[in-house]
Amino acid sequence: MRQLIVRRLLQTIPLLFFVSIACFALVKLAPGDPVLSFVTPNMHPEDIERIRHHLGLDQPAYMQYLLWLKEMFRGNLGYSLVNHQPVAHQIIERIPATAGLMGSALLLAVLIAIPLGLAAGSQRNRWADKLINLISYIGISIPIFWLAIMLIYLFAIQLHWLPVMGMRTIGKESAMDVIKHGILPCSVLAFSFLSTYVRYIRSGTIGQLKEEYVQIQYAFGSSKRIVLFRHVMKHVLLPIITLLGMSMAELVTGAIVTETVFSWPGIGSLGMTAVKGLDYPVIMGITLLSALLLIIGNLLADILYGFADPRIKTTR
Amino acid sequence: MRKGLYGLLMLALVSLAITACSGNSNNTNSTSSAPDSASPSASAASGEPKDGGNLIFGVQADPQILNPIYAGDRVSLTIDQALYAPLFQVNNGQKTFYLADSLDVSEDNLTYTLKLKSGLTWHDGQPLTADDVVFTFDKILDENQNSYFRENLIIGGKPVEVAKIDDTTVEFKLPQVSPAFEATLVQLTPIPKHIFENEADIQKSTKNNTPVGSGPFKFKEYKTGEYVTLERFDNYFGGKPHLDSITYRIAKDANTTNLALQNGEINVAYVDPADVNTIESTGKFDIQAYSEGRLGYLLFNEDSDTGALAKKEVRQAISYALNRDEMIQAVYGSSDYADPAKSFVTPDGLFFTNDVPTYDNDPEKAKELLASAGVSNLKLRFIVSSGNKAQEAASLYIQQKLKAVGIDVELQNMDSTAYGQKFSDVTAKDYELAFGGYIMGYDPDAYSILYKSGAGANYTRYKNEKVDQLFVQGGSEGDPAKRGEIYQELQKTIAEDAVIYPVAYTKTIVAIDNQFGGLEDAVLKPVVIFENPAKLYLK
Repeated sequence: MRQLIVRRLLQTIPLLFFVSIACFALVKLAPGDPVLSFVTPNMHPEDIERIRHHLGLDQPAYMQYLLWLKEMFRGNLGYSLVNHQPVAHQIIERIPATAGLMGSALLLAVLIAIPLGLAAGSQRNRWADKLINLISYIGISIPIFWLAIMLIYLFAIQLHWLPVMGMRTIGKESAMDVIKHGILPCSVLAFSFLSTYVRYIRSGTIGQLKEEYVQIQYAFGSSKRIVLFRHVMKHVLLPIITLLGMSMAELVTGAIVTETVFSWPGIGSLGMTAVKGLDYPVIMGITLLSALLLIIGNLLADILYGFADPRIKTTR
Repeated sequence: MRKGLYGLLMLALVSLAITACSGNSNNTNSTSSAPDSASPSASAASGEPKDGGNLIFGVQADPQILNPIYAGDRVSLTIDQALYAPLFQVNNGQKTFYLADSLDVSEDNLTYTLKLKSGLTWHDGQPLTADDVVFTFDKILDENQNSYFRENLIIGGKPVEVAKIDDTTVEFKLPQVSPAFEATLVQLTPIPKHIFENEADIQKSTKNNTPVGSGPFKFKEYKTGEYVTLERFDNYFGGKPHLDSITYRIAKDANTTNLALQNGEINVAYVDPADVNTIESTGKFDIQAYSEGRLGYLLFNEDSDTGALAKKEVRQAISYALNRDEMIQAVYGSSDYADPAKSFVTPDGLFFTNDVPTYDNDPEKAKELLASAGVSNLKLRFIVSSGNKAQEAASLYIQQKLKAVGIDVELQNMDSTAYGQKFSDVTAKDYELAFGGYIMGYDPDAYSILYKSGAGANYTRYKNEKVDQLFVQGGSEGDPAKRGEIYQELQKTIAEDAVIYPVAYTKTIVAIDNQFGGLEDAVLKPVVIFENPAKLYLK
């Protein structure tokens, strides 16, 4: 096991290196000029040239990459081209908002998906299954921004229960206030995640119910509920560990659309602004962080898998 | 193993219960959960300025930098307007003095003497003197400081000399006569010397995150991605402001902004023409449409690889084929938010005249002109930034109108950054038409970078020696009467040559919660919304 972890961690270094090259190349291949996002038409061309030089944008792309890489090895992710603040600082500042939102949305989605998926799988092709299927199809196909606007309209404008946007009331520092602001974005995200998990659990349940051990449990007189929640669930949850491992990256990259619609101050909306302005140091910072977490998340999923199902450990 | 899974399940259930509880408790105090500012005060009728209250502006993005010598984006400029007092302002032709008490120009138009008010202070209580003004101008001129405005202080290749005479007097010596220098002084706002004097790179300084200004409101807090709050500065030289605080709330999505306006979470925001009716129907808002000093126009690229628009007759023919009023309807939805434009100068500009050659819709004349120019089967490429409603509407309208006179227009849609790059690249040859807009400020000298031969922003690639000379003369003529003649001549020449097809002077629409008063004294101003937010009050 220890060998596996060390090997996998060593693999991350070349992986991250390639991710950084690919990301940089894509940003540079995109048409546009980062300077355009902060100049106004009545600035003098000489000033604009000087700014470009100051930011190193007059150098060839490979030089810009090498300079970035050099700073990177010193632990410096660089400065934003737009607001000139350190990239690392900007990302760290926004992690709590994003991780809190995504974490609770994922948790909520899984918690709802488990009973729904088990119910759908065990009631295959009956009305409960069809209803749950319908809900998850809606979850997959509904545009997230539309759902968000509709929920805001209902809960904020009509019912006045919840605020429209933001993460807190201006000048207020209370956990309750943040939770109140988080309910809508969290529900929207959870609803969109839900369907994937439900479908995994449903098909897992269908498969497991055909297994012999289920028949044996019934033969011993266990009730359906006990069979489902005590025995089937254990097996069905295995693939969910992998899915959650993959979602580690999402914990920090955030949800671009949801964060933008609700003006949630997370990394998704930081990334969106950076992409629009071709602010490559910020784009690179966010991409590398999410690549790193994706790798670590996968590794963690593998390790957890081993604990959850010892058969896997022995075959490796 | 079994224990582990149950533990996880229990944990999950507990968290679900917590989430559910928080949801419940939220429902129970639903009456108080509506934001404070949403409940309009019953005494709204009085109209007497009262002290207190918090005004919330909706802004589209985080401010890029709260330091006026670097700020170029709309959000930073808007916040700086309340945070940093300017020397003086010119709006709708009116000059209002703020930090400055007077500005005198010498006989030879080469020396400007700026007198500051006495007893000025920064928000931290330090005196604001001539030293701060000189420091600011020195830093703008210092190439290592990377200010965006340096070139404004270089006239005819030489820098303006700035010197302190006494604590409240600063003298500017110009290398040559430049009446546009006054417009430069309007743009440049002093920053505190005692804060920045030891900073090697002011742009990257962390002190920009807790700015110390001189305006009616001082910095209180900035939550990245959420809001910037300013609070009243009691020692403001213009008198104590009425409002306790102003918050600039970051709302990135236009639909959410409209909903937040209706819910009272935002009190002031820009509104799209299409949404005006919805906002107005709530009865809670003053809708103000005001000129931004912006021109929306059809651009003719004279130097495309086909050379199709190099001839003046062809450009005139295209102008004759279009109908300005129809186009305003098509592009801006209503003439309420756009005034017909004929000159390249905007109405807020000095020496503006709309009395210039114009091309009133006449398709027959257009065909004649095309025939006389010996042009037939003309094909033009029109670049459009996808998702830009105004550009899309304009391009479709123009395509259809030009078809009627036998010109084929091919629309080329592209992503907004690609469009921005192509449009601003004065060597791009692969298109003929585009629909653009600009805000250049009130001094017409600013337009020289758009229309002088080979100038950095000469997107039309227009070349006319006479125009070049007129711009040089206008830029260095001290006598306003003579200067006026020069710029009127310029407006006529450029209209005669059909360099662009001016469509409309567009307006900005702002919705302001009608609990707030003092709009007349605060004065609506392009880009920054209010010139003097100190005058706003809660009714």
